[in-house]
Amino acid sequence: MLKTKFGFTRRHFLTTTIAAAVGAAARPLRVEAAPAEAKYTRYNVMSEGGKKALESYARGIEAMLKLPADNPQNWFRNAFLHLMDCPHGNWWFYVWHRGFLGHFEQTIRNLSGDATFAIPYWDWTTFPQIPDPMFDGVLNPDDKSFEPYTRNLAVFTSSFRPALTSYFNSLTSEQRAQLNARGYTDIDAIWNDVTGYDPRQSSPHGVSGNMAYAIACGSCYLTRDNPKLDEKTAYNVSPFVALSGLLPTDFYNPVMQLSFNSSKTPSHNTQPGQNSFSVIEGMAHNKVHNYIGGVGPLDPGPYGYMTNFLSPVDPLFFLHHANMDRLWDVWTRKQKRLNQAYLPSGQDLETLSNEPFLFYVDGNGNPVGTSRAGDYFSTERFEYDYEPGFGEQVVNPPTVRLMEKRVRPSIRGVVRGNTATLTVPTDAIKEHLAAERGASLIAQVTLPHPSAASVDREFDVIVGAPPDVTEVGADSPYYAGTIAFFGKMMSMEGMAADATFSVPLPKAPQAFRGLAATNNTQLNIRILPAQGHGQKAPTLKALSIRAL
Amino acid sequence: MHILLVNLLSFALFAQSVGPAPGRVVTVDLPKTPGTGEMVWIELKVGIIERGAEIEIMTTAGQSLGVISPFGIRSGDKAGTYTVPLPPDAISNDRVKLRLILNQYGHAKRAPTAKEVKGIRLKITRAVL
Repeated sequence: MLKTKFGFTRRHFLTTTIAAAVGAAARPLRVEAAPAEAKYTRYNVMSEGGKKALESYARGIEAMLKLPADNPQNWFRNAFLHLMDCPHGNWWFYVWHRGFLGHFEQTIRNLSGDATFAIPYWDWTTFPQIPDPMFDGVLNPDDKSFEPYTRNLAVFTSSFRPALTSYFNSLTSEQRAQLNARGYTDIDAIWNDVTGYDPRQSSPHGVSGNMAYAIACGSCYLTRDNPKLDEKTAYNVSPFVALSGLLPTDFYNPVMQLSFNSSKTPSHNTQPGQNSFSVIEGMAHNKVHNYIGGVGPLDPGPYGYMTNFLSPVDPLFFLHHANMDRLWDVWTRKQKRLNQAYLPSGQDLETLSNEPFLFYVDGNGNPVGTSRAGDYFSTERFEYDYEPGFGEQVVNPPTVRLMEKRVRPSIRGVVRGNTATLTVPTDAIKEHLAAERGASLIAQVTLPHPSAASVDREFDVIVGAPPDVTEVGADSPYYAGTIAFFGKMMSMEGMAADATFSVPLPKAPQAFRGLAATNNTQLNIRILPAQGHGQKAPTLKALSIRAL
Repeated sequence: MHILLVNLLSFALFAQSVGPAPGRVVTVDLPKTPGTGEMVWIELKVGIIERGAEIEIMTTAGQSLGVISPFGIRSGDKAGTYTVPLPPDAISNDRVKLRLILNQYGHAKRAPTAKEVKGIRLKITRAVL
């Protein structure tokens, strides 16, 4: 695992919403240290880094659109790679797409001229609508740049079928064997999935919903004026579903509730049908694809690109799958934190690792040749990491384990001004200092909402600091975290006048210098304006400590 | 995370009568009361459904529990088995009442047939994050 450039500070982590802070034990994010720092970072598309990446992405797409159809890096040819080789509903789903995205990312890096480019991700759990910049220019498959190729099916066919036929005829016997397993015994069979023609019907005919090609003006159902996922799709990507999907502790388990991945199948080309889908693939991944393509509103099709296997024609595909890949990375780091396996073992690992992926194209437009699934288990293969997004909290000490721990009674402090004094069992402090992971002493800090006119919205919590300490940095041994009020400060209907935040106490011995030899120790906790000098310290409403 | 208990419904046998709302109501008793740190899951085995059709899972109180939207399934192929997390508040008295609805173009919302939803089961696992 690559060392992240995003070493979260406790100050950063505690900057959170009131709703999230009340009643929840806040814990600092811990990203596993590793030997090398990632060379590239895949940013959240809504961040500044993500927006910058989109500019390069657009340049890369323009360049790929202009390449001739017989060039493997042509935009549409790249999408055909997905149609011909992508696994779904099986345990190669995540790893195959990691390889596909990684090589594609290198192509964009080369063709955009941005040597730092990395695919931004769309965190649909926190932002369940298509990011607005994705409706600009070539980032939108409706754009006029696509029209010369997608104007109608005849144009699309004349543009790409000849080049694809030549490519098909040049394939190795190993590649042809894989396509046979997929049902692509000849170029006609491949093209049937482009047009939707279904020879297996009792009376063969076209099935509009099966057509992977989409006409330019119908390439994406959602628009800038209608960018939101509907409520059902939003539920499938909701925090509850996404976190549930991160729960499994096995890379693969035939009991799907215990499995991060979908079914184990004979090959990555085994198509879904008898397979079982794991939660994130089956719910979040599938529904986002289908809804963006218009399943529901555009029934019975034809749909936009995202609904079928030419989905990489829509530039949003890569942001969607970067998020899927990010969630796999989150799950992997969670497993490491729990000291649990993040890959199968024994024969299963061998089978999984040795699956040949034969169709990838590298960043220079050359065939990668025979690569194997095992080449893509780690993000180190492409030297990237992710700007943290939803799900990162599972990499922290376990919520459930905390719930299962013995919970001691709360200790209420005596409050005066911005200071609280508490009498804490000495053993509890020693246990806190000795705990290997996280904090076992959690303070519940109650403050009044700042007024609408107040400029003070963030407050530092300090523990055991001498009286002359009036400002601390995040590296101070007394620093427990920063409480941040988020959103409008004016009184809102139903909003309580006070807010309570959970703050884990620091683990530096200096904060507990007065550790007594007796059974109990006096502890002093203060609240300071986070912006430093010259501002008024808030009045504490209440402060208590609970030992977990 | 260990699987603890499973309650399997043979869909055709346990499906109950349809009320005024569309869909088919099924009632499943949990094999035990879920404990702290345990998670309940719905496992839905979907047979052959039309392209673009979706199976919606709700409580009878109208709470949405998820939508099965098969992706990349060719016409005429079975859609596969899907796992859906069940929120604790959807459980009442160790019992879950679910409404399954098939949404398909050109048809009113309706109950899926026994061939379209071939089985449903609840599983309880111990969850660790």
